[in-house]
Amino acid sequence: MMNLAETAVSAALESGASYADARVNRVERQNLSLRNGALSDSLDQDDFGVGVRVIVNGAWGFGAAPGFDAAAAKLAARRAVGAARNLSPLRREPVKLSGEAGSTSSWTTPVETDPFTVSLADKLAFLVDADKTLQGREETVVRIAGFEARREEQWQASSEGARLHQRMIRAGAGISNMARVGTEVERRSWPASFGGNYRSAGWEYVEELGRGFVEHGPRIRDEAIALCTADVCPAGERDLILMGNQLMLQIHESVGHPNEIDRVHGHEVDLAGASFATMDKGAFRYGSPIVNLVADPTARHGLDTRGFDDDGVASAPFDVVREGEFKGYHTDREWAGRLGLGESHSTSRAEGWFHPPIVRITNLSLMPGTWNLDALVADTADGVLCDTVKMWSIDQRRVNFQFTTELGWEIKDGEKTRMLRRPTYQGSTVEFWNSCDAICDESHYEMWGVANCGKGNPMQVAEMSHGAAPARFKNITFVA
Amino acid sequence: MEVTSERALDLDRHDRAAREFLEVAASRADEVEVHVDGELDAFVRFADVGPTQCADRERVVLSFRVRKEGAHGWREAGAKVGSLDREAWTPALERALTLLEHSPENPEALPLPEAGRVESVSHSTATELHGVAGKLGWIDQALKASAEAQLAPAGLAETRVCATTLFNSKGLAVQGSTSKASFSLTVSGDGANGIGQCIAHDVQDLDVTSAIRQSTEKGIASRAPEVFAPCETTVVLEPLAVSSILLFAAYSGFGAREVEEGTSFLAGREGDRLFSDCLSISDNARHPLLRELPFDGEGVKKSRVALVENGVLCGPVTDRAHAERMGLACTGHSPRRPSGQGPMAQSMVVKAGNESVEELIRGVDDGLLVSQFHYTNLIEPRELTLTGMTRNGTFRIRNGEVVGAVKNLRFTQALTQALGRVSGVGSDEAVVGALFDGHLVTPSLVLDGFRFTSTTDF
Repeated sequence: MMNLAETAVSAALESGASYADARVNRVERQNLSLRNGALSDSLDQDDFGVGVRVIVNGAWGFGAAPGFDAAAAKLAARRAVGAARNLSPLRREPVKLSGEAGSTSSWTTPVETDPFTVSLADKLAFLVDADKTLQGREETVVRIAGFEARREEQWQASSEGARLHQRMIRAGAGISNMARVGTEVERRSWPASFGGNYRSAGWEYVEELGRGFVEHGPRIRDEAIALCTADVCPAGERDLILMGNQLMLQIHESVGHPNEIDRVHGHEVDLAGASFATMDKGAFRYGSPIVNLVADPTARHGLDTRGFDDDGVASAPFDVVREGEFKGYHTDREWAGRLGLGESHSTSRAEGWFHPPIVRITNLSLMPGTWNLDALVADTADGVLCDTVKMWSIDQRRVNFQFTTELGWEIKDGEKTRMLRRPTYQGSTVEFWNSCDAICDESHYEMWGVANCGKGNPMQVAEMSHGAAPARFKNITFVA
Repeated sequence: MEVTSERALDLDRHDRAAREFLEVAASRADEVEVHVDGELDAFVRFADVGPTQCADRERVVLSFRVRKEGAHGWREAGAKVGSLDREAWTPALERALTLLEHSPENPEALPLPEAGRVESVSHSTATELHGVAGKLGWIDQALKASAEAQLAPAGLAETRVCATTLFNSKGLAVQGSTSKASFSLTVSGDGANGIGQCIAHDVQDLDVTSAIRQSTEKGIASRAPEVFAPCETTVVLEPLAVSSILLFAAYSGFGAREVEEGTSFLAGREGDRLFSDCLSISDNARHPLLRELPFDGEGVKKSRVALVENGVLCGPVTDRAHAERMGLACTGHSPRRPSGQGPMAQSMVVKAGNESVEELIRGVDDGLLVSQFHYTNLIEPRELTLTGMTRNGTFRIRNGEVVGAVKNLRFTQALTQALGRVSGVGSDEAVVGALFDGHLVTPSLVLDGFRFTSTTDF
């Protein structure tokens, strides 16, 4: 396959490109889910093709064609060169890449058991067992038990000498239960919403989740029913404790996206939006001194954990926020070169072979603190503990946000007093992160996968993870 | 690989591939369904430095499901392969047949549909042939207009054609192709933002000049926005803003599954006059501004469905299985199976009124003109409670005139209430899209008592 990538690069150079890279890419995906015990999703996907990116006369071009042969590679190269050549008269400043040299390397996700080697019979048996944990209450309307695995293999070559191969595997599973009491309907999910949690991992992680279903299935089933008659979370100002499966989305939306350098410079404003975190602010105070956010494409179990990005730059961690102070953006070679930022932060990623790479949030995590969750609850006089993403919305500069979780627990004088329905909190990004006064310790820390991050225009979907332990935010506004 | 010409969908090849698959798979299962999809796409993104990203690309996908009937219902399994070549889909077929042996039987699943009468729809050839080079003039025009307005541009020019061939082992055979040309320009700078967008079936009908003018005019007018205290007020929602909120009714309300489960705002309210009598909404894939595939994921003819008729709730859209269970007519809105999704209204059309946007504005004493919403999302489905932010031009209306720009606001609003307070429907029918894909045809709407709950500093 590397020969195919080299063929595409050669074809592009022969057609007049001054720079070319090619990605021969294959994505296999297996998705099985039971809905009320019947198989509702059974998708076995195998997608492959060649994507070629070139620079001609200082302008980018990208071409893509399906298949794994020289004809596809050359067709994609011709398309890319033709597009760049046509557009170059309108390019006002030539593309300038940062100076990372091409290298030869390979990388594979460490797994105990490749999920694609597990038999379909075993996978179905796993789901049937998962579904059983949700059975037994007549108020239940919909039970979902799902599993998904993804294996992406990429061969990457560039005109600068890069020859890179990587094989990335991820797996995960989840359960959810929707209940109806009268006309009220509520859903609970475990371990997270959007189908569950996913990691760079093998079948061993799915089995680990399966053991969790036994404990948490009956609990979320009963919670969904109880929520239907629970009080709606009242409006007002209180302390907020976010569980990791909600905090991860807070990190994603209010730290990750605003720190993508292309948004900062207005290149994504036509769809996904811009950013308040403009470069003229320098090292501004993003959060309280206990807030440390590290971007790390090498992080264990991260969905964006890989050897290098789609620019061919080796993965390496970097600080986004250290002791509350803003430190650095997510960048690629183009932006690092254009702005003179030194080396790229290796966050250029495309959705498969069909899309050109764009700047993406990588695994971005809130470093753990020192608290125990029980002690944190006991230390809270008037608050709400919010669990599991239900709804999110944020403005186009990533300042004003509003989130709703599946479930809340009212906390009064250090005790959980009653279940609350639809807890909805609202805030402003910098003020919010500066209100963080407690973060739980390593024992509560977990990697939460975001498998559906949309960005770009036309939109591309990417995957990344956010590590988080529960944390407390002071005096937050709840809306009813 | 059999390479197609540089810019053309090879529909004959799709047809041959679907037949070949059907022939092989039909002997291995009780029922087989196969889709072949082809897509050609050319796009250019642009910003302050000129073109920033572009693509000239093609893909094909063969997807299928195989089925066996057991004592207690149907078992089925599906797969999707990015190639039409037999050696590529053979392993996927074998895996699907293995899965079929272990799948639980579904007593609610129906046999595949028989062949029916479904008319064909074709894409625009001009759109198919419109490559990257054809978009240069538009982008040049947008860059110059933005520079003249002293605003930074960001936008997208795209042409895409998609073809679908669908066969099943019961003799059903349908084929259709669609096209979409779109251009959008967002301008920003000094607190100003503006958007203009156009979408058409045929690239020759795309009014790029008007979209550029609309964007820069909004951008210039939105400079120096003032704070507007959040409150309940009358809003004139332009088509892009309407799309962001109405698409949630499609995602979460107008489908039979949500009605059956009781999560839809429609459930138990069919026949009620919940909305204003000036509001009528239908689902119509054949609308001349949409021209979408006239058949659903199972090859069943899509019917035009009245969802709201003069404020009265009708609907929902159905597929065969929901129609049979719920005693309703099948409207042909099945997703492709196997799928965890239910039937969905994907071609919504809001009936236009007689007044221009200017006339709608003249009828407002005190309120806001909203160009677009950003990141709208659903808080609660039974009342369709949504939240989202305004963007790209929000303006104060006083005594029937736009008097200046205001800073962006967050709304939190139950749509079941808001659509009961529609007091004006524009004549400016347009096809518009929203952030999370999907599009619909709608004019501007005037809604009274729309609830804004917080603001921003820009």
